[in-house]
Amino acid sequence: MVEAVRKVTAGARQSAMALVAAAALLGGCAVRDTGASEPWDPLEGANRFIFSINRAVDTIAIRPVAVLYRDWMPAPAQRGLHNLLENLGEPVTAINEVAQGDPSRAATTIARFLVNSTLGLAGLFDVASAIGLSKTKESAGNTVGYYAGVEPENGGFYMVLPLAGPSNARDAAGLMADYAVDPFRILTYALNVDWLLYSGPRWGATVLDTRTRTLYALDDLERNSVDYYAALRSAYTQQRAEIIRQKREKTNPRAELERRDNLALIR
Amino acid sequence: MQLASRRALLCLAAAALAAPAAAALAAPAQAADGPAAQLIERAAAEVIELVKNTTGAQREAGIRAVLTNYFDLPFMAQAALATHWNATTPEQRERFLKAVVSAEARAYAQRFGQYGGQTVVVSRVSTRPNGASVVDSKLNQSNGQPIAIQWEVRDSGRGLRITDVKIEGVSMVMTRRSDFNSFIQNNGGKVEPLISELEARSTR
Repeated sequence: MVEAVRKVTAGARQSAMALVAAAALLGGCAVRDTGASEPWDPLEGANRFIFSINRAVDTIAIRPVAVLYRDWMPAPAQRGLHNLLENLGEPVTAINEVAQGDPSRAATTIARFLVNSTLGLAGLFDVASAIGLSKTKESAGNTVGYYAGVEPENGGFYMVLPLAGPSNARDAAGLMADYAVDPFRILTYALNVDWLLYSGPRWGATVLDTRTRTLYALDDLERNSVDYYAALRSAYTQQRAEIIRQKREKTNPRAELERRDNLALIR
Repeated sequence: MQLASRRALLCLAAAALAAPAAAALAAPAQAADGPAAQLIERAAAEVIELVKNTTGAQREAGIRAVLTNYFDLPFMAQAALATHWNATTPEQRERFLKAVVSAEARAYAQRFGQYGGQTVVVSRVSTRPNGASVVDSKLNQSNGQPIAIQWEVRDSGRGLRITDVKIEGVSMVMTRRSDFNSFIQNNGGKVEPLISELEARSTR
């Protein structure tokens, strides 16, 4: 009797998993809708392998450069490069804000882009923030998460991307979508701009800027975890969820707290 | 027995807090001067003093005192071990707690380098029906963006204690829990290797 029940549940679980795998490819899926559970990581073996390669490359090539950059590049120059990259990302943010049904916010983003590209000297200076046009950053991952009717912790299966690091089905798909709709990418592609003139430098600068900004947090996480892979997986999932949750619950910041009331943390 | 009494206490606390919770719903932005907010402000002031005036082992000892005085460490340790907690002996629990406290004290002592003019500003306190209060705060830095920190505060039976810290949405307890769980899974599902590892780290 018990055995039969177990079989039925196992069967149901299997078909559920198949459904989930299909749904995950579309971005978000309902697998275990309590934020208390571990991130869904069916590819853990492969992920850990890529993670170890990423770590080796990071230790040898990326982290040392980021440390030098952080310690020796004057702060205004670091800020300038960061502003420049953020400015290049504004069109993608605007597109996502339209997709999220917030055209007025998208208009502000476009205004920011125009102001910073001209008065801000091609984006080196964030003049727009100074005149009251506040900054936002949106990705297609956020857009999918915004519409997916699941807990934002649940972004489909977790994956570690070569060089880019932690991600999941939702955010990796979002990354591709953002790449596809990026006006700068389309334009430079159409005009046959040499890779070395635009894509290469932008990519390299993004890696440098991002790594410099994550030095402190990642060093800390690595030093204070017994399983860095798992700790990073958890932290990534939580942080992405927080961003999407804030987006969803604009009028109700309490929803997050209510969810936490239902976690296994509470006895 | 201990667990049962804690549960009873939490139920009591929940009942006691039900009324303020209803009030909180009516006025979403509560004044940030309740006991929970004061607890955070006191803890933050104490840590800032430590960072200003001490270094090395002295700072680590100070941080350890703050951890034991302001945090509900047994609660957090239990939450971090999740279901594995039930598979541990009282002796293991004691060792685990000790090792975790050492690790956290050391981590926090290293985390703050020199004092750089940071301040913690409490913005809002929300009371939850389960007896926890969540204190929203911002860590303002002299350079760079402010960092959002949420503190979960509960009445532990020995007064209000901090039970979790969320930095930019990343909960310390949740991250530890995932970290520990994975380590345990990869070491034969036993808690003992984790405790040994933590103990080994604290002597390094």
